[in-house]
Amino acid sequence: MLIEISQLVKNYEIGDLLVPALNGVDLQIDQNEYVAIMGPSGSGKSTLMNILGCLDTPSSGIYKFRGRRVSDLNDDELSRMRNKEIGFIFQNFNLLPKMTSLQNVELPLMYAGVPRSERRERAIEALEKVSLADRMDHKPSELSGGQRQRVAIARALVTKPGILLADEPTGALDSKTGVEIMALFDELHREGNTLIVITHEREVAEYSRRIIFIKDGKISSDEKNIRKADADQAILRTRG
Amino acid sequence: MQFDEIIRIALHALLDHKFRSFLTMLGIIFGVASVIAMLSIGEGAKREAIAKYQDLGVNNIIVRERNMSDAELEEVRAKFSQGLSLLDAQTILEIVPSVEAVAPQAEKETEAKVGDRSANSTVIGVTPDFIEILNYEVGEGSFITREQYDNNMKVCVLGAGLAKAFFSGQSPLGQMVKIEDQWLEVIGVMKSKAVFTETVGELASRDLNNDVYIPLTTFNKRLGKTNKLVSEIKQITVKVTDSGKLIECSEVIRSLIDRHHFNNQDYSIVIPYELLKQEENERRIYNFLLGAIAAISLLVGGIGIMNIMLATVMERTREIGIRRAIGARKKDIMSQFVIEAVAISITGGLIGVLLGLSLSFGISLFTNVTTYVRLYSVLIAFTFSVLVGICFGYLPAKKAADLKPIESIRYE
Repeated sequence: MLIEISQLVKNYEIGDLLVPALNGVDLQIDQNEYVAIMGPSGSGKSTLMNILGCLDTPSSGIYKFRGRRVSDLNDDELSRMRNKEIGFIFQNFNLLPKMTSLQNVELPLMYAGVPRSERRERAIEALEKVSLADRMDHKPSELSGGQRQRVAIARALVTKPGILLADEPTGALDSKTGVEIMALFDELHREGNTLIVITHEREVAEYSRRIIFIKDGKISSDEKNIRKADADQAILRTRG
Repeated sequence: MQFDEIIRIALHALLDHKFRSFLTMLGIIFGVASVIAMLSIGEGAKREAIAKYQDLGVNNIIVRERNMSDAELEEVRAKFSQGLSLLDAQTILEIVPSVEAVAPQAEKETEAKVGDRSANSTVIGVTPDFIEILNYEVGEGSFITREQYDNNMKVCVLGAGLAKAFFSGQSPLGQMVKIEDQWLEVIGVMKSKAVFTETVGELASRDLNNDVYIPLTTFNKRLGKTNKLVSEIKQITVKVTDSGKLIECSEVIRSLIDRHHFNNQDYSIVIPYELLKQEENERRIYNFLLGAIAAISLLVGGIGIMNIMLATVMERTREIGIRRAIGARKKDIMSQFVIEAVAISITGGLIGVLLGLSLSFGISLFTNVTTYVRLYSVLIAFTFSVLVGICFGYLPAKKAADLKPIESIRYE
């Protein structure tokens, strides 16, 4: 099992008040799953994603990644986890504005200590995968929203992480570009990547194979996306 | 992450904000420049003082007749003092321990003539070893020899100024100079000497380049006395074997001469080396103050760096969050910001060194203040500026590293 979460609780202290964001979440995600986490704002879905992405730590409960207890890791080890195992894709892309696409994609490899020539090679490879190799010397301001998100996806992919975490990946894009990005996610999933997409849009969630609803800090439903799952089956059958 | 990568990131950040980086550097630039300029002024003054005293001889004790009016002279003569004499000089050499040599000299202000040119000069009657004891040097020809001295020959050695005034470029050797009613043959010309405007102890400053040196024997035999009251000699320069013995010797000399002169205080003793040390002590405090003022400006420059760096950290919170999200450790962020601060201070330091060098050069060029830049002062100023960068960059860097990734990435 890639991710195992049990009885995860996260409380925020606001003044003297203890505000619960996650209230006992149990969740298991396997290798090569494509999961959508849905919920209204304030439901706790972003908190869950931050904890999954090692950006935040739970108040109590257990989070295991590849069987390793993440809640026991120190700051350096968490940095290493974020670097090697997690690929973040944000709603607002979060690229560094002064750097070119290539430099942005190289950045995680730099923190991983990959030598320069190899780094460049792998960054170009990742940009090719998102069909942006021809834009590698452009800065984010010279790219469209869709292209920026592709650069961000290339940056998330470049370390070959265990999991891709996307937080409202189409939130800042028009619907046509959003569809293109989701098609890219589909492709990444077919290639064997594990994806978790946080969204409040039904259409985005429909691309996934499993849809989880969160409400008031708890999982309220966790179901297979039958339509997509059936389609996968159909593809498997035709291949078979 | 490799070190050169961190440096690259830091330099990029500085180049992205060239004007701001430059403004931040200004404090360091002026700090370093003023440290170097101030120390160069102090060093220049020190060297000038050393040159001045070396001229008088650092191992020398100078015994010189006080300047007295005729009335005062009459009074001391009435009290049995004959003034400084060759006997005094001889006794010092023979009796006082650690004395290596003595150079008595007689002096007379008079007019020297060559053809229709004349000049006011000081005629000085000396012994042959005068030149060695006083550390003077001959530029052309030679100094008075023992033979010329013993035979009170009519020869003279001219100061460089006089030689130039009389013979304007031609060699004066073998030419005749007329002093009072005596014709003297020029056998040498002294090297030109720096003119000091300050008075050292009892020694009034004068232009040594206008002196005429003749054998003391010739002086006593052939030049007329101004009046009967004038002492046999004006000054005795005593050379001591070891500068550690200067004070001891001077005390012995004082008691000796006091006895010869029946306790008339008609002379004074100057020890150039002691004056030099005294002056150095005074200067040390002065230099320390100058340096401290300059160091404070460096410190203020450092605070400027810290100020801007703190603002930069705020402004770049989002960037820090992104870097943390994709795997930067605290120490990666930390070193990035420390190195940025150090890069600012190193660049500022280098510019400051250049500015400081030109400042001290400009000062010596356009004012009459002598400056001298020593390598160590450049090194101190530069090292200090780098340290300032590290110290004042640390706090902002620590603040940047301690930002929570989750909060900083959402920072707008």
